[in-house]
Amino acid sequence: MPSGVIHDIGYQRYTGPRLGRGYASRSLYLHGLRTAFGLGRSAKAKIFPWATAGLAVVVATVLTAIRAQAGRPLVSYADFPSMIALLTTLFCAAAAPELVSRDLRGGVLPLYFSRPLRRSDYALAKLGALVTAVWLMLAGPLVLMLVGGVFSVHGAGAVGKEIVHFLPGLAQAAFYAAVYGSLSLLVASLAGRRAVAAAVVVAVFIVTTPIVGVIAVIGGPTAQKLAFLASPTTVVQGVGTWLFGVAGPEVRPYGPVYGLAMVVLLAACLLLLLARYRRVAR
Amino acid sequence: MINATIARITARGLFGRRRFLLLLPLPLLLVGLAVLARALGAPPAAVAKFVIVNLGFAAVLPVISLIVGTGVLGSEIDDGTLVHVLAKPLPRREIIVSKLAVAVVATAVTVGVPMFVGGLVAGSARLGIGLAVGCVVGAFAYSGLFLALSLLTRRPVLLGLLYVLLWEGLLGKLLGGTRVLSIQQYVTALAARVGDTDLFAGQVSVSVSVVMAIVFTVGGTLLAIDRLRSFSVAGETS
Repeated sequence: MPSGVIHDIGYQRYTGPRLGRGYASRSLYLHGLRTAFGLGRSAKAKIFPWATAGLAVVVATVLTAIRAQAGRPLVSYADFPSMIALLTTLFCAAAAPELVSRDLRGGVLPLYFSRPLRRSDYALAKLGALVTAVWLMLAGPLVLMLVGGVFSVHGAGAVGKEIVHFLPGLAQAAFYAAVYGSLSLLVASLAGRRAVAAAVVVAVFIVTTPIVGVIAVIGGPTAQKLAFLASPTTVVQGVGTWLFGVAGPEVRPYGPVYGLAMVVLLAACLLLLLARYRRVAR
Repeated sequence: MINATIARITARGLFGRRRFLLLLPLPLLLVGLAVLARALGAPPAAVAKFVIVNLGFAAVLPVISLIVGTGVLGSEIDDGTLVHVLAKPLPRREIIVSKLAVAVVATAVTVGVPMFVGGLVAGSARLGIGLAVGCVVGAFAYSGLFLALSLLTRRPVLLGLLYVLLWEGLLGKLLGGTRVLSIQQYVTALAARVGDTDLFAGQVSVSVSVVMAIVFTVGGTLLAIDRLRSFSVAGETS
């Protein structure tokens, strides 16, 4: 005769506060931001992001020193992000695969999605983290240049003018961060291997640039001014020329087209990224 | 020297399942852009400058070499499946040479063929052959370098990107002296000589290019063999 008994060995339900979806999103965003710079990781993971960010700071330092010697700025604040676009590309190539490819490869996405966190929350948190990281990587050197600039001019009016010149720099950095961040995160989310993802991210940026040259050669005067739409790098430059008069491609009178192109590019990246994470199983 | 089984496994790792799709878009873009530009009436010099040099030699060849060259060994190191290969009674040089051969053939075919077509479109068959020869030489030198890199560091692709973008791309334009160590310049010089063209020219002499390409290939291979001899299997850390 069976005489089984279920003992109460003291398992209890969790009755504390549940922090929910917003908290999870915020945590993932913060964790992603730290990951992009290798914070909380081994020293090896810090080398690459800090090397690229450090090079950007070196460029800014040199520019500030030249400005102090020459007495006038060599490169405006808004020009700086296009000047170090190559370093931004490299930073993205290191950070984007670190953010998304590891999760794909490790097959941990089901663990995330079994929580209150939604699929779109995951994608948006990662995207926000990468865009913020790229913006910080660009804004840091800009602030350094501002400090150098403020101390090299005299009078409160001149300082105010310096700050007015500085704000377009931050905005241009934000445009670069948004475009480079969304494009590279989208590309990296398609590859599970970090190494492959990094190479493909860079390929997207450097392969599209020669197309601009080809269109500029074969097209008429209108096509020459619209040729810069062919590459994400030159689209951001075109927007900078239109809004802030950045030295770069001559896009007038098609400036608004570049603005529209950038918005469309960002929206397309976002939608594709969300679509990717709606489907991906692991 | 070449072990057929290792070569077969490596090729399957490169092209297996849908992975060959990754290598397809860049060559297609190269051919498509060359044909399109010529069809719309671009002069050969423009096609040579933008499509062949800026796109082909400066972007497609190094990027494909990087993906393939670091992939043949790097992916096995990442997976940890290299242990199974190392545990077999094979000389280490046989493993390296087999993998290098696969990398060179894969790169040379995926880049050389579209470059040949591009040369044919932009000029003559002679130019096409010159470009193809340049790509084969480039495939050897880049593969040797990136294969060695994948054994020297755990992040070979990022270091390779630094070499391609900063050293060859940026410093090659600013500081002339760095061109002597730039594979891209050897490829350009050799392609211009073999293709008998003045549409583009290398910045280093042909003899230097040949010697340095051999140095990169042989040096990279020997370094890789040496590193694989004392390879220690460690888990993924970072």
